[in-house]
Amino acid sequence: MGLLDRLSGLLGLRKKEVHVLCLGLDNSGKTTIINKLKPSNAQSQDIVPTIGFSIQKFKSSSLSFTVFDMSGQGRYRNLWEHYYKEGQAIIFVIDSSDKLRMVVAKEELHTLLNHPDIKHRRIPILFFANKMDLRDAVTSVKVSQWLCLEDIKDKPWHICASDAIKGEGLQEGVDWLQDQIQAVKT
Amino acid sequence: MANVHTFSSCLALADFHGDGEYKLAVGDLGPDGRQPRLKVLKGITLVSHKVLPALPAAAVTFLMGPHEPRTPALAIASGPCVYVYKNLKPYFKFSLPLLPANPLEQDLWNQAKEDQIDPLTLKEMLEGIREKAEVPLSVQSLRFLQLELSEMEAFVNQHKSKSIRRQTVITTMTTLKKSLADEDAMSCLVLGTENKELLVLDPEAFTVLTKMSLPSVPVFLEVSGQFDVEFRLAAACRNGSIYILRRDSKRPKYCIELSAQPVGLVRVHKVLVVGSNQDSLHGFTYKGKRLWTVQMPATILAMNLLEQRSRGLQAVMAALANEEVRIYHNKALLDVIRTPEAVTSLCFGRFGREDNTLIMTTLGGGLIIKILKRTAVFAEGGGEAGPPANHAVKLNMPRKSRFYVDQTLREREAGTAMHRTFQADLYLLRLRVARAYVQALESSLSPVSLTAREPLKLHAVVQGLGPTFKLTLHLQNTSTARPILGLVVCFLYNEVLYALPRAFFKVPLLVPGLNYPLETFVKSLSDKGISDIIKVLVLREGQSMPLLSAHINMPMSEGLAAS
Repeated sequence: MGLLDRLSGLLGLRKKEVHVLCLGLDNSGKTTIINKLKPSNAQSQDIVPTIGFSIQKFKSSSLSFTVFDMSGQGRYRNLWEHYYKEGQAIIFVIDSSDKLRMVVAKEELHTLLNHPDIKHRRIPILFFANKMDLRDAVTSVKVSQWLCLEDIKDKPWHICASDAIKGEGLQEGVDWLQDQIQAVKT
Repeated sequence: MANVHTFSSCLALADFHGDGEYKLAVGDLGPDGRQPRLKVLKGITLVSHKVLPALPAAAVTFLMGPHEPRTPALAIASGPCVYVYKNLKPYFKFSLPLLPANPLEQDLWNQAKEDQIDPLTLKEMLEGIREKAEVPLSVQSLRFLQLELSEMEAFVNQHKSKSIRRQTVITTMTTLKKSLADEDAMSCLVLGTENKELLVLDPEAFTVLTKMSLPSVPVFLEVSGQFDVEFRLAAACRNGSIYILRRDSKRPKYCIELSAQPVGLVRVHKVLVVGSNQDSLHGFTYKGKRLWTVQMPATILAMNLLEQRSRGLQAVMAALANEEVRIYHNKALLDVIRTPEAVTSLCFGRFGREDNTLIMTTLGGGLIIKILKRTAVFAEGGGEAGPPANHAVKLNMPRKSRFYVDQTLREREAGTAMHRTFQADLYLLRLRVARAYVQALESSLSPVSLTAREPLKLHAVVQGLGPTFKLTLHLQNTSTARPILGLVVCFLYNEVLYALPRAFFKVPLLVPGLNYPLETFVKSLSDKGISDIIKVLVLREGQSMPLLSAHINMPMSEGLAAS
């Protein structure tokens, strides 16, 4: 990232629009993470379970993100694939304290990666091992083992431990995502 | 190893804290069936662990009242009580109403109280009541009858002031929607007791709404409908019958008699599926008509209902002893799950935040949780194969060679001569057989005597490698009801080669049917490895003709000659 980029980013000029899909099981913290990435005056106080999906916007230092915040409930999960075409990056959120449903998350990730719209595109995937603050949470290394993230060979991916309520770990993830998107663009 | 030892009836899934996270309540029996515990699992971690007063018979969850928050209460039936937990905290204890005691028995204990009657007479009178009266005795009297004479006095003094109580025990429990069929409607508890009764309880006040009687002790209950409108209750009982009760009937309306004991009862839409201990599933209508029967490959250990709401599927799961869990939709096999160990209890429903979760506990106390994929569809996966697929097995017909054809040609040409020669040979054979047989009879060589007067059977066994052998004679009287007295056994042997401590002894009285092993020790004297024959003769005292005899070919002595 050059000095000019950073400068123009700070000035709010030439901000590129990027479409990002935010996926994950229900109750994993997708809406909370996106809410926390927004500027503090635009953040909402109450987070309720998402119905269907919602479109959110936030900005990082040099990019402007449009996020499709999908609902993760079982009956809405078949909506995900309708937005795969637009997605230029994927944020996949995992509840690291929910050991029981780690297999479900793995299964959903597997179907996502094997979808024809995703399979042959080299789009960056950012994983958030969320809810790190909880006592029975497992480490991000464990999460990546359980989800078999090593098997993803053709896409750049990154896993961050995060605590979406305090906002810890989110910035690191978004910085990585921004670097990857710019690397793809240039 | 989660150390969960329970049955399908003691598993319940519900959102006990109202946070959308469904937990599993297990009425655990303990590893040896002696430490009853209430365990609550959240995800795969044990969150609560409470001691229960007695072994749990059933665990169900139900909504007690119409008030918010609508968190279900957990009811655990154990002994004569139902323990109701709200928010997983003890909330209420319902005891079964006492049963009327026998007035005669009451009188006797009253007399004992006033010391008008001594313990021995009390015991005699109580025994008289036990045999004749219709109303069974109370636990107190039954315990009294078991006691030794010395303990009676103290027991009477201790217990005479107490009034006698007769209580029964809950065997099974289920829930019945009260007036609405909704998911979050109030439910009544339905209890089956050891006293052959079914009780329906009010969810709020815990009063008995109705009482129904059955001809036998219920062990499995299945309910459909609503209490206020119309309901049908199917109760599988210990006498191998299923009784069906309606709303207004105090007595069973229909009865299904099974050929074997029921091991599980599940309702699928309008069909009652019964698992019998003859390894089969039967489907019945609510009127008692048999619809179908499916044979299982192994014993059924547990049964439960699989209900997938999103697809409207209801199927029966059956855990088998051959470490399989089979899923049946009517007669069609949908799926087979193989488990590392035989499964003893099954439960399907919402667990954690996942709708379609199957929870299984194994015989060794393990816990297996399976989550049904969102994209999975149950289909009749062609599990039913017709005739065996390999048609390669041909009939095992021997081939005929050139040799056979030549032989038939020869037979065709010289048939007459062959017939004559063969017949002549056959005559000779018969003659020789008869001669040998008469000779054997004369010298009583056969080990089986079939004469009507002395039916006996003898065979001898030699054990050991030598030089010492153990020789066991098995003597049996084969008559129907006539003992044989006064027989002796005599051994004939070469005294240079073998030494027997007693070559002649008496036989005990032979009771018909029993096998008498009579053993002696034979020592081989020769150091040259010579083996010989030993003859055993069974004789009647006073007669020199042996009744029967056996020849034993002694084996070679493997060791040095006995000195």
